[in-house]
Amino acid sequence: MKHDLELKVQAWLDGELPEHEARRIGQWIARDAEASALAAELGCVRQALSRHEAPVTVGESREFYWSKIERQIQREAAVPGKDSLPWLARWRKYLEPAAGVVALTCVILMAVMQAGSRTFDEISSPGDGMEAVTFHDQSAQMTVVWLRTAQNQSVPKNVRFEDEHGTVVDLE
Amino acid sequence: MSMDPDRPALEEADLVGMAQRGDMASFEALVARYRDKIYARAYSMMRNEEEALDLSQDAWVKGWQKLAQFQGDSSFITWMTRITINLCLDQLRKQKRLRAESLEAMEEDGGRGVEWRLPAANPNPTAGLEQAELRERIDRALAQLSVEHRTALVLHEFEDMEYKEIARRMKCSIGTVMSRLYYARRRMASLLAGLKRENSE
Repeated sequence: MKHDLELKVQAWLDGELPEHEARRIGQWIARDAEASALAAELGCVRQALSRHEAPVTVGESREFYWSKIERQIQREAAVPGKDSLPWLARWRKYLEPAAGVVALTCVILMAVMQAGSRTFDEISSPGDGMEAVTFHDQSAQMTVVWLRTAQNQSVPKNVRFEDEHGTVVDLE
Repeated sequence: MSMDPDRPALEEADLVGMAQRGDMASFEALVARYRDKIYARAYSMMRNEEEALDLSQDAWVKGWQKLAQFQGDSSFITWMTRITINLCLDQLRKQKRLRAESLEAMEEDGGRGVEWRLPAANPNPTAGLEQAELRERIDRALAQLSVEHRTALVLHEFEDMEYKEIARRMKCSIGTVMSRLYYARRRMASLLAGLKRENSE
């Protein structure tokens, strides 16, 4: 018999096969004498072991056996930090790099928000019924903002300049 | 030191609850109640009285330290037995008595382990044996198995663990667990039958 079939016989006996396969293997074992003998042998060993574990008893008196346990418990309790928050120690190796990533992300976010808020200061919010058009000249380091009312879109109402030093000048 | 005479009469759940609140006398009563079972499991895995005694006591110390984690999903003795098994497996690994899968496969394929390849010749290797005699023979036969085969057998037959859990605890594949169990059972059948023949001659 092939070894994988022998293992199937054993798995069938141990109830480790899926239902449909267990049915198929069970039928085959019932038909095949060799498989049947193997199942009987394995089953007999299994049954004998599960019912006949040799009784073993501690050779020491109850008091003596307990005294060593009690001393060990007290000794370990006296060691500061021993077994305190063991999960923290296990997770520390993951938490430390993660904390670094979080800190870096915070720095980047703050930088972006600061940059964003400066940009916001430089762009004036148009009120209701107004439209803004922005033009930035890289070579002149200058930004021009056109603000127009809805009623008169062709006439610029306000013009805002930003020079190379970042100074903003509003013209009406 | 003598134990509180009322403690041993209490229910297991009461003793566990009081021990969880820091009552060491209750824990002592649990130790007194189950020390033989814990020692027996350690002995079945280590096959050495001194080591089994030390490991069983270490298991109780660990049990006390982890008592807050016990939620009652299993019985207290099952939970304590799992702690004991883990300590024994760690110790066997530390001593390198639990070998790599490749070395074990070489042994099964070669010299010592040929009987597992033969057709089953002992359909009832324990027939006609008295209970006490059978226990003794099983114990002697178990002693002749390698650590890997005996451990797989102990976890499956004595602890009712599934293949998956044995694989997780022994840090090997399910296929290896199946092979170890198969080899161990065939060898046990052969040893028990051999012992039976020895006696009848």
